[in-house]
Amino acid sequence: MSLPSDKGPSDKGDTAGLSAADYDAFCRFLRERTGLSFTEAKRYFVDRRVSERMAAVGVEHVRQYLNLLRFQASGEELQLLVNRMTVNETYFFRELYQLDCLVNAALDEVVRGRPPGSRVRIWSAGCATGEEPYSIAITLLERWSRVDEFEIELYASDIDSQVLARAREGIYEQRSLQAMPRDLVAKYFTRLDDQSWQIMEELRDSIDFSLVNIADPQQMENFRGMDVIFCRNLLIYFDDLGRREAASMFYDALSPNGFICLGHSESMSRMSSLFVPRRFPDAILYQKPQS
Amino acid sequence: MALVKARKIDGAKPAGAAEGGDPLAWLEDADPARRRQAAHALGDRPDAVPALSARLTREEDPSVRETLLTALVRIGTAAAAAALVPHLASEDVGLRNGVIESLQQMPAAVAMPEVAPLLTAADSDLRIFAAQLIGKLPHPDRLDLLAGVIDRDPHVNVCLSAVEALMEGGDPAALPVVERLSGRFPDDPFVAFSVDAARRLFSGA
Ligand SMILES: C[S@@+](CC[C@H](N)C(=O)[O-])C[C@H]1O[C@@H](n2cnc3c(N)ncnc32)[C@H](O)[C@@H]1O
Repeated sequence: MSLPSDKGPSDKGDTAGLSAADYDAFCRFLRERTGLSFTEAKRYFVDRRVSERMAAVGVEHVRQYLNLLRFQASGEELQLLVNRMTVNETYFFRELYQLDCLVNAALDEVVRGRPPGSRVRIWSAGCATGEEPYSIAITLLERWSRVDEFEIELYASDIDSQVLARAREGIYEQRSLQAMPRDLVAKYFTRLDDQSWQIMEELRDSIDFSLVNIADPQQMENFRGMDVIFCRNLLIYFDDLGRREAASMFYDALSPNGFICLGHSESMSRMSSLFVPRRFPDAILYQKPQS
Repeated sequence: MALVKARKIDGAKPAGAAEGGDPLAWLEDADPARRRQAAHALGDRPDAVPALSARLTREEDPSVRETLLTALVRIGTAAAAAALVPHLASEDVGLRNGVIESLQQMPAAVAMPEVAPLLTAADSDLRIFAAQLIGKLPHPDRLDLLAGVIDRDPHVNVCLSAVEALMEGGDPAALPVVERLSGRFPDDPFVAFSVDAARRLFSGA
């Protein structure tokens, strides 16, 4: 589809038609509300999704659409747009070295001095379709020698309501399961048909899935006392300031000595002086200091 | 099984909102978590700049300090940038570094007018910070300001930080400026070395 546009002829091309000023206003709005930061290079990507949503709601002008996003009390349209703008790609046992690190070293450190039976809280922030939290669950059950001594709570959240619904359902296709050993698939999944497997109910029920925007301080306030936070492959879509803010909110959510795991291409050094990088044999994690 | 059902966390329900009151008042709370919370909440309040800056002077908890800095960057006004600048003279290296990084993350149009005057500060350390910072601000005056340092600053170390800043920027127009430094300090081996390095960089060799 195409939209009415006030662009000059030099500006043509196959983008849907946000003027430079509208594009700026739009990106600023998204940055404030979601932490997601889109540069000029992403213009085509943003344009397409915005014009799609504008067509769906029957709005003609970008300004009108922006107002709808701003002032709609239910926030429904913003959610729908966010669902289209996020990149949800993930799979089981992604960046396995961090899961290795978790069960080989980090968790032992987390529980040091804690009496048996106490709680351990692990949070997958930006869990997409659920592969990450389920991978954590399976890794703990299979490979952490002290798993039975503690009560482990797993939290998982995402800003995208559609992927969360799929995470709760726990149905996966071959592509998601590729990195997972066959025997574990057999042990934890039920085969539904040729294409799909569903993760067992006990695991589905053990994880609390919730809709959380990690750029929103009010929502983040509900998360406290976490021992390990996985926040992998989403801060790459944030700008420097967004990363700094996220770091400081994660700091509040963690218990002293708690760890944060970032994706391999993300480094905390540019982002914050709050955490201490800890080099383990399997991976580098960031730790909240004792006090 | 060792996994227990996690208690429901309702992300939609704000936890602290019930406590009410003005976050400005919590900035001086004894509990660092509360002070962090205040700083978070003040990140969109330009009127909070003086209070944030005053707290920054006294704040000893590194995590609260980081949040105060982040709030000032987020506010992003000229007043917020101006409030950061005096902390560049702090004895505390951590604070200084935090301030440099923060000014760098502000819009260049806002940060530059606050930072540029530091190029004439009496303290050569301050001039060095200013040169480093200016090198990182995408601003049209960048080259001219750094050229001014190279042509006029009496202190060779300040000039060398300007050279470094220009090299980081990678603009070939900077080369003739850098070369002028050899004329000012003909006997300084480090100047000779830096100018050489700049030539290699800009000629792509
Ligand atoms: C590429 S996926 C990464 C999934 C998983 N963590 C992994 O590493 O495989 C990024 C996820 O982050 C989510 N996301 C992006 N911005 C977010 C925000 N502000 N708050 C919460 N989740 C966000 C996206 O919806 C997406 O599902």
